[in-house]
Amino acid sequence: MSSHTSALMPPAFMPSEYGPALRPHVATMPSMTSVSVRELFPSFAEPLTQGDPADVDRVRAATRAALADVDMSKIGAGDSVNILASEHGFGLMGGLPYAEMVKTIREVVIERTGCRDVRLRLAIYRGFKEAEEVRDHFGFAEAFEGKVKGLGPFDRGVEVETAIGPMWLVNRAFDADHFIHAYYDDPREMYFNRLLYKSFKSFCMSYARFETRSVYHSMFGNRSGSIIPRALFDSDFVQSKYTFSSVLRTSPAGVTEIDATDDLYAIDRRITASHLATYGRMQRLFAEIEDCVAVWDGGRWGYYLHAGGVIFGVLLTNHHDSFDLDIPVVAGFMQVPGASVNFTRNKALRGIVVNQAWVGAGIPYVTMPFTSPMYIVGDEQGKLWRDDPTNPLLMDRATVVDTVEQGIEQALERGKTDKLMVFDGSYGHITCNEPMAALLREKAPAVDRMVQTELLPKWLAQRGLA
Amino acid sequence: MAVIRAFAELDAAPCTGCKLCDLVCPSGAITMVAKKAVIDDPLCIGCGRCVDRCPEDIMWMTERAEPITRTVRPDEVDQEKVTALLLAAGIDANISVCVCTLTSAAEIAGAVVKGASNLDEVSAMTGMRSGCGIYCVAPALRLLAAAGCDMTAPRGHRWYPSTLALWDVSDEARAKYPDAFIDEDRAVFDPTHQFGPLTHSEAPR
Repeated sequence: MSSHTSALMPPAFMPSEYGPALRPHVATMPSMTSVSVRELFPSFAEPLTQGDPADVDRVRAATRAALADVDMSKIGAGDSVNILASEHGFGLMGGLPYAEMVKTIREVVIERTGCRDVRLRLAIYRGFKEAEEVRDHFGFAEAFEGKVKGLGPFDRGVEVETAIGPMWLVNRAFDADHFIHAYYDDPREMYFNRLLYKSFKSFCMSYARFETRSVYHSMFGNRSGSIIPRALFDSDFVQSKYTFSSVLRTSPAGVTEIDATDDLYAIDRRITASHLATYGRMQRLFAEIEDCVAVWDGGRWGYYLHAGGVIFGVLLTNHHDSFDLDIPVVAGFMQVPGASVNFTRNKALRGIVVNQAWVGAGIPYVTMPFTSPMYIVGDEQGKLWRDDPTNPLLMDRATVVDTVEQGIEQALERGKTDKLMVFDGSYGHITCNEPMAALLREKAPAVDRMVQTELLPKWLAQRGLA
Repeated sequence: MAVIRAFAELDAAPCTGCKLCDLVCPSGAITMVAKKAVIDDPLCIGCGRCVDRCPEDIMWMTERAEPITRTVRPDEVDQEKVTALLLAAGIDANISVCVCTLTSAAEIAGAVVKGASNLDEVSAMTGMRSGCGIYCVAPALRLLAAAGCDMTAPRGHRWYPSTLALWDVSDEARAKYPDAFIDEDRAVFDPTHQFGPLTHSEAPR
């Protein structure tokens, strides 16, 4: 057994009015350690960056290299171009890699085409001031000479005729002659998107009105919902303005490369194959955890905080194999007749401690404390949650504690577990305590073999990628 | 059912009449009078969206002295009509249409049967959309459409008439996207083949 080593620090994150005042990270606690995902799964490639600000030049160079062969001939010198960026990208590894890719796209487009009217459109979710926070934190106003606007699901829509019927996108995303899909490939809610054409999802979420987002979430199943973003992307309206895609590619180890081409379907096939091999291993490793407590300790909504590059929501729903398409529903609102709830829970999750995270504010966790005790650190955070209309019932069940140590102690004791995993935004490693580290190291080799020999071939075949 | 604990207020003097709060209000609680926002307190379902949206930062939420409940109880409406409406819309009665307040499809349908004729009225009656406002609107719009309500989008961009569902995908679209699991998911979610494309004419009200 290896001797105890201190935990690595997670990436710094953007302060926001949607979260509490910043607190010391759980990683600073003496009992915490870090487990390298490349130690667990040696097949993971060494990453380009894990978000260290010193690596931005590498991201810039990789973006330039990826864009070198991209056809930009649609863009004329006198045209206007919107670069479409989505909020979650700024939550990946502190957001700097994604921000640097976006800035570099602008530079290259100007150099290659002579076009000067290159605007940034920041797609945000419910917090109307979030776009301004992102703009200021990442210096976009200066980088884009002031041509920066936010857009969200409540902004004016544009009706788009698609192969499956009319839907509504956000007009501001498409108020230029052309647009560039500047994306990231974090699989995020793999229990919802099932890695079925995930690269297209922005077209029914980030760039879409709330009605279209609701159609995706509520009127189709996990699997059939994949038709919606594709139908939007393939529509005459979108294709008339689309130029190319540039995607920040990741694995649980960090940013792996920039992938850019006008063929988004080709990018998606590459991403899907890669993710099934990498995030698939992590997903199955998490499924080996029979009891644990999770800590939210980052600068985004709790569902979307990472541990080893995998969001908390995956642990929450990991009682099913999200990638096995023979399972019709993992999570969601369309449900099998007779099922009693929309979101069932992973019973291995014995408790959640909220050290710091954005309050719900548009992200419902309302039933989570029904099955997993929640401990909110500090009265300030308790008040934020109490005032959150998205989670009106949450504080009826959650407990406010004075310190994170107190919350962890109570959660472990009540959950009858000694294992703790921290979702603090980390890629490349998992912040956890020693019992969890020992479990992950013990289970990883068998998971590695199982995914490689049994699951990966099935997952690939189910997606026509074998 | 939603328990509403707060309502929105504003300092009207500096209000510029930009209407942004009006456009994001889910329950029709905000109107513009003489180029100033006016909040109809009883209609406010406490979502706080206007406060976040206001560019002048002149709005705030105030805790209600006593929480109010917004709901349409089963005994208030003819349940046969509710069942028929859900069938016409192709929506399972038990799903939580509003996942923030855990308001069921049956209650949303009950609001429509009770007389709600647009999305704002459904929200005001049930508290739906007091939370995220993202997941619930398509089922509610589809129920309104199935009931024969006027689906003309209101002025501004409060909402647009989206009613698309799994049951509406045409044979041509299925052929174009053969790997979209349309038939498979229809079999899973509607094993008895009750649901079909949205129909308006026979919808009860």
